Amino acid sequence: MNNQLSPIWTHLTSEGRNTGTWRSALPNYQNQPSPCHGACPVHGSIAAWIKQVKDKDYHGAWLTLVENNPFPAIAGRICHHPCETACNRGELDETVGICSLERFVGDMALENGWVFPDPEVERTQKVAVIGGGPAGLSAAYQLRRHGFQVTLLEVSGGLGGLMRHGIPAYRLARDVLEGEVSRITAMGIDVRLGVEVADKEALARLHGEYDAVFLATGASLPKRLPGLDYDQNFVMDSAEFLAASPKAQITATGAHVLVIGGGSAALDVARSARRLGREVTVMSLEAEGHLPAQAVELTEAAEEGIRFVSGAMMVSASQHEEKVTVQAQMVDFQPGNGPGKFTAEPIKDSTFALTVNTIIPAIGQDADLDRWSGLLSAEGPVLDTTPGNWQTNHKGIYAGGDVASMSRFVTHAVGMGKEAAHAIAATLATDLPAPPPSQQAEVAYARINTAYHPRHSRNLQELAATDARLKTFDEVQQPLGPDAALSEAARCFSCGTCIFCDNCFFYCPDMAITRLGGAYEVKLDYCKGCGLCVAECPTGSIHMQEEAR
Amino acid sequence: MKDTSYKDEGQFCSGHVACAGCAEALSMRVILNAVGEDAVGVVVPSCVAIILGGHPTSSARIPFIHGVLESAAAMASGVKQALVAQGKEDTTVLCLAGDGGTYDIGLQALSSAAERNEDILYICFDNEGYMNTGGQKSSSTPRAAATGSTPHGKTTRKKNLIEILAAHRIPYIATASTSHLPDLAAKVEKAKTIRGMKVIIVVIPCLPGWGVADNAVAKVSRLAVESGVFPLIEVEDGLKYTMNVDEKTQPIGPYLDQQKRYRHLSNEDREGLQLDVDESWNRLVEMADR
Ligand SMILES: Cc1cc2nc3c(=O)[nH]c(=O)nc-3n(C[C@H](O)[C@H](O)[C@H](O)COP(=O)(O)OP(=O)(O)OC[C@H]3O[C@@H](n4cnc5c(N)ncnc54)[C@H](O)[C@@H]3O)c2cc1C
Ligand SMILES: Cc1ncc(C[n+]2csc(CCOP(=O)(O)OP(=O)(O)O)c2C)c(N)n1
Ligand code: SF4
Ligand code: SF4
Ligand code: SF4
Ligand SMILES: [Mg+2]
Repeated sequence: MNNQLSPIWTHLTSEGRNTGTWRSALPNYQNQPSPCHGACPVHGSIAAWIKQVKDKDYHGAWLTLVENNPFPAIAGRICHHPCETACNRGELDETVGICSLERFVGDMALENGWVFPDPEVERTQKVAVIGGGPAGLSAAYQLRRHGFQVTLLEVSGGLGGLMRHGIPAYRLARDVLEGEVSRITAMGIDVRLGVEVADKEALARLHGEYDAVFLATGASLPKRLPGLDYDQNFVMDSAEFLAASPKAQITATGAHVLVIGGGSAALDVARSARRLGREVTVMSLEAEGHLPAQAVELTEAAEEGIRFVSGAMMVSASQHEEKVTVQAQMVDFQPGNGPGKFTAEPIKDSTFALTVNTIIPAIGQDADLDRWSGLLSAEGPVLDTTPGNWQTNHKGIYAGGDVASMSRFVTHAVGMGKEAAHAIAATLATDLPAPPPSQQAEVAYARINTAYHPRHSRNLQELAATDARLKTFDEVQQPLGPDAALSEAARCFSCGTCIFCDNCFFYCPDMAITRLGGAYEVKLDYCKGCGLCVAECPTGSIHMQEEAR
Repeated sequence: MKDTSYKDEGQFCSGHVACAGCAEALSMRVILNAVGEDAVGVVVPSCVAIILGGHPTSSARIPFIHGVLESAAAMASGVKQALVAQGKEDTTVLCLAGDGGTYDIGLQALSSAAERNEDILYICFDNEGYMNTGGQKSSSTPRAAATGSTPHGKTTRKKNLIEILAAHRIPYIATASTSHLPDLAAKVEKAKTIRGMKVIIVVIPCLPGWGVADNAVAKVSRLAVESGVFPLIEVEDGLKYTMNVDEKTQPIGPYLDQQKRYRHLSNEDREGLQLDVDESWNRLVEMADR
């Protein structure tokens, strides 16, 4: 019997037809850096850990965070967050509250007592870290993760650097600082408090005893205001004031405090003094709207009743009994080329006087380079280092943080500490090659299909009420609650990070995409190269790549 | 994030000959998988017939009868009767046609089947023109759109097929779009549970016919829905109107800008089209409120 189908009947599926030959471009799955990642001073994997928050994998999110930064709870409070400025979502509605999410995860880690994983191997090489601020702690942490034997030398009685001696508790609660610092030292770091590495000879000796040295002594010398006699009892430098206990701060100040400067340090002084019940005026060369302090700081300071005299210069100060008369003049302030450069032209017939009790100048800090001179060379106001690995002119001595850079922020210091640690690791251990700098382009806003991201305004952190704020040094910024944090995480586009939503799979008219579980594969026999999968990707994780045939 | 998932059990096969990036092929993937194995198909000349066929191959796993352009609904009625005669009442009869085969040439057969309330699921792939024959106008072509036979833009409005069908009081009429894939799948699933005549009209931005980019059909259909040019609705028993997306969130401009068939328009023409959309939309809102 003839069982064969007659060839006049349809008896085949279309799958024998190779429509892949039609194509001139092929979709290529590739995770790419997000703009927030590029702008972040520690180059955190922001899209990745926010995705873990979306999935409620908070411990995973924390582990991803601490690969690059051991201080998520601290950074989540005081980072100047350039990541948010770069965030793609700003083009749709408002940028993602990356910082508040980082704090959310960081706080959860502290509450739950999460600890760092032990180093995978113990290594014999020894590294000395000088200075226990964010740069030094970050380097010590990364080196210890790699299994090196780390000794941390700190001149003061506690770790944290300016996070302890500068930033006030109402912006960074001390138990948070304590918690994130002690978690690092618990990794088995030999911490020596009250030890000063005083000069280049001491540094050279250390270099002889250790396989490498990381120098992170910060910028400890206050800039001096010309025309002000610092020996007068009504003058107190800002660094000294901020490092003092509230009790000492009270003794040192009169009823009306004049703070000179317009940056974050000036505002920290002003707001601290306000919390001691002082009347406070802040005088800055910069005109209103141009103060270098962050906008939130200025708003919060104004709410707290601080008076601003902006665009003015102190000319002289003289004391009669308890009162200090300050002569001042309005100026035309113009920023110059580079940090710290400016001109301030006095405006005619604009002199005025103020009566105060105490003057606290807060006009910046310089690095103390003299003590290393002859051993380490300088590049302008900071130590000379090789970009990317932070090695000084002296082989085996590395430097980072405020002593080596004018990017004077905590997370910049953390980033430099990390990069230097990786560079040191790579020279000491052949199995730890330095990670190559990323050459990949960042995902542009145009690559995000915003149809999948409904508009939603940012979930804001609440602030403590103004009158309550003035009575204590308790934190002003309140944490995001769990629901608000999840809602905020959901706002992230996950730029360049595949979220396995399967949009690409479901949108292919040719069934040319296979799900492999954690990956996708394009069937070369069928993909016609239309690019619909790419167009419907909500994260910009696929792109079309031309095919030469 | 908005969900795009739907059931895919391999009912539609790779290797078909639809244009790269075709919304009709994408819709067929959703529809054939929602319809499932227990179904017989009827199809008439149109892009969809070409996507399905290419003798001796088929891109569908269920059997299809290819018939003449005038009689999709009549053929489907006959197939259903034959199945019933075999005791296969539950087998779905899926009838696929273009807008030319639905609004124009097959309207008589469709109207008759609707009047008899035949138990068929009729899908109209509405690409607003006779597209596989090179892009001539149909009565579904919207006002002002350029086609091969209306090079300066069509002067009359798009025929309102939904109201024609509603007048027949058939159990289920719906519209769908590739911008809302789970909605399309859900409408097919729902139609399968209803006995009697069901019609689903899917908007199909035609790559060559409308002049849209290879990767843009989902975007264009999305704009069609968001601008209210192609509202997503359901009509039950010809009386109960439901608007699935009850807000217009876009003006017509971005939708027009994606398509070459509208690029000759003056600002006045564009404003006129916006008025058409607003008027139709308001009418729908009224019907949905009733
Ligand atoms: C008032 C104020 C507020 C600030 N607020 C913010 C903010 O909100 N956000 C932000 O990002 N940045 C802020 N900054 C800047 C930020 O604090 C610094 O950029 C950052 O701390 C620099 O880190 P570092 O590790 O280089 O130095 P530091 O934090 O200064 O740490 C240096 C450490 O080295 C120790 N040390 C110094 N010399 C020796 C030595 N010879 N031997 C042993 N140990 C030594 C010091 O005691 C100190 O502990 C602020 C700065 C100030 C002054
Ligand atoms: C009676 C009749 N007239 C003309 C044709 C030629 N023809 C085949 S398909 C087609 C166009 C059908 O247009 P439409 O139904 O909108 O389907 P599309 O090609 O747009 O998918 C035409 C005119 C035909 N097959 N039968
Ligand atoms: S949307 Fe998310 S991943 Fe994209 S830049 Fe903003 S925070 Fe980063
Ligand atoms: S949607 Fe499918 S056919 Fe189109 S480019 Fe992507 S994989 Fe290829
Ligand atoms: S569409 Fe979704 S699953 Fe596909 S690459 Fe983009 S994010 Fe990943
Ligand atoms: Mg058509």
